[in-house]
Amino acid sequence: MLGEVLIAGFESTSHTFGVGIVSGRGEDVRIIANINDKYVPLKGGIHPREAAQHHVKTAPRILKKAFEKAGISIGDVSGFAVSLGPGLGPCLRVGASLARFLSSYYNKPLIPVNHAVAHVEIGKFLYGFNDPLIIYVSGGNTLIAVQRKKRYRVLGETLDLPLGNLLDTFAREAGLAPPYIVNGKHVVDLCAEKGSNFIPLPYSIKGIDLSFSGLLTAALKLAEKHKGDPDKLGDICLSLRETAFNMLVEVAERALVLTRKKQVLLVGGVAANTYLKEKLSKMAELHNAIYAGTPPEYSGDNGAMIAYTGYLGYIHGLRIDPERAVVRQRWRIDEVDLPWLPD
Amino acid sequence: MATGLKPLYKGAEAHIYIIEVLGEKFIAKYRVSKPYRHPVYDRIFRFQRTKTEGRILVDLYLKNVSVPPPLIVDPANSLIIMKYIAGNKLSEVIDSITEKKLSAIAKRIGEMSAVMHMNRIYHGDLSLGNIIITNTLEPYIIDFGLAGYSSDIEEYAIDIHLLRRSLNALAPEMSESFMDSFWEGYREVAPLLYEKVRERVYEIALRGRYVSERVKKRFEKYVE
Repeated sequence: MLGEVLIAGFESTSHTFGVGIVSGRGEDVRIIANINDKYVPLKGGIHPREAAQHHVKTAPRILKKAFEKAGISIGDVSGFAVSLGPGLGPCLRVGASLARFLSSYYNKPLIPVNHAVAHVEIGKFLYGFNDPLIIYVSGGNTLIAVQRKKRYRVLGETLDLPLGNLLDTFAREAGLAPPYIVNGKHVVDLCAEKGSNFIPLPYSIKGIDLSFSGLLTAALKLAEKHKGDPDKLGDICLSLRETAFNMLVEVAERALVLTRKKQVLLVGGVAANTYLKEKLSKMAELHNAIYAGTPPEYSGDNGAMIAYTGYLGYIHGLRIDPERAVVRQRWRIDEVDLPWLPD
Repeated sequence: MATGLKPLYKGAEAHIYIIEVLGEKFIAKYRVSKPYRHPVYDRIFRFQRTKTEGRILVDLYLKNVSVPPPLIVDPANSLIIMKYIAGNKLSEVIDSITEKKLSAIAKRIGEMSAVMHMNRIYHGDLSLGNIIITNTLEPYIIDFGLAGYSSDIEEYAIDIHLLRRSLNALAPEMSESFMDSFWEGYREVAPLLYEKVRERVYEIALRGRYVSERVKKRFEKYVE
């Protein structure tokens, strides 16, 4: 019988502060706590300093709640995992400070985690995928990757705006947000429900790379032109979403055919979007690939994904000295060597 | 499209059929409808990309770039009939080619890309999956669905950026030497274009998300 490994993971790269706890005995790995709290701006977008203040305020409560849920005390853990980047500096520092302190105080190892890698690993874990085509879409990322030689390799990505940022920026500029999410649905989706006519918009793909800035400009110009006409705004929302998603699914299909993977995994905050899921699963079906998208609880930023990836790192001997655990605002998914990936 | 025929290959946007006429083999490339795509886009893309591909294949064939020459281009039916090129995709055989031979292939791809760009043509999806290697190790460039005509350096640089990205993802250990040979061929054919395009390719790579080099570059400028 293998001993139990308990890892607590901290997430604070952007709007969410989260603590997750994972328990593992060899193959038997379980998420025993996943407590998160999201900073919601009253107006505009995420203000890094305000988001960081939110994290500082909520951290003690979330930490306590997570350990209560898991039914263990802090000193029981085998190690602490922390998301050191990529993300917003002030936000990252909250999680990093907490993790460095706990690691030193309890004299337990600290495991560095790349936030993007964590999104992928939690998706693979939940669906038992071993080698998927990865589509990672969130407010800060839009990329398509596969694993090869101990790293995730980026096949294609956005050359300007991430998909989540495109939808949020449009919503904000067109007066639909904040809040960006209402009853679990993005406001652009809600607005699209009122639309019926499709308007072709700039569609820009370069191989497996994407460009959304022209699309955003065109959609905003149209919205400005038809200001005060809710039906027309519905048409614009519908067309914007349709165009952006069509672009993403088309590049994903190119990548799938190029790499011949048999699994398609959608991860990141935008993975919660039902329309995108529907399109991607139709595409995967055409190529006899299994499709899965992380469920809302784990698709947005969360502590559990950091704890789980930290667990993988822990059992493979990955450690970082707390004194050297500095945050990295820029830290691409393809810069990280991962000992658990195949050669 | 004739019914009952089984596609030889299902690509990302088209089905490929082999047809034989008087002992000669041809490829029928049929752009299929996509269930995930809006019907308006579906109609536009299937028509427009077929038309563009046909025109560019003719243009490049006449400029001695190794591409399959088209015989029939029928945008209304999303169909192109072209010459069959026997071989394998570079993405599938790259691991089995010796370094020396791969270097010659890369150089030739560099030369062909330079000819394309000098004629204002960009490919739009220059990946290892869109290069066919014949049994005599001759590279052929295929799939011009995203191609177009432009005088913008950006489009040419993106072709090369895409090629390098595809190498980094599929054969990372060969990427550097492959690109060296590629640039050598490119430079020989288009020395003037070479400088501008290479500079732009570097710039494009820095545009990705969370690239720390970009910040360093900005900082260096500030220090100067």
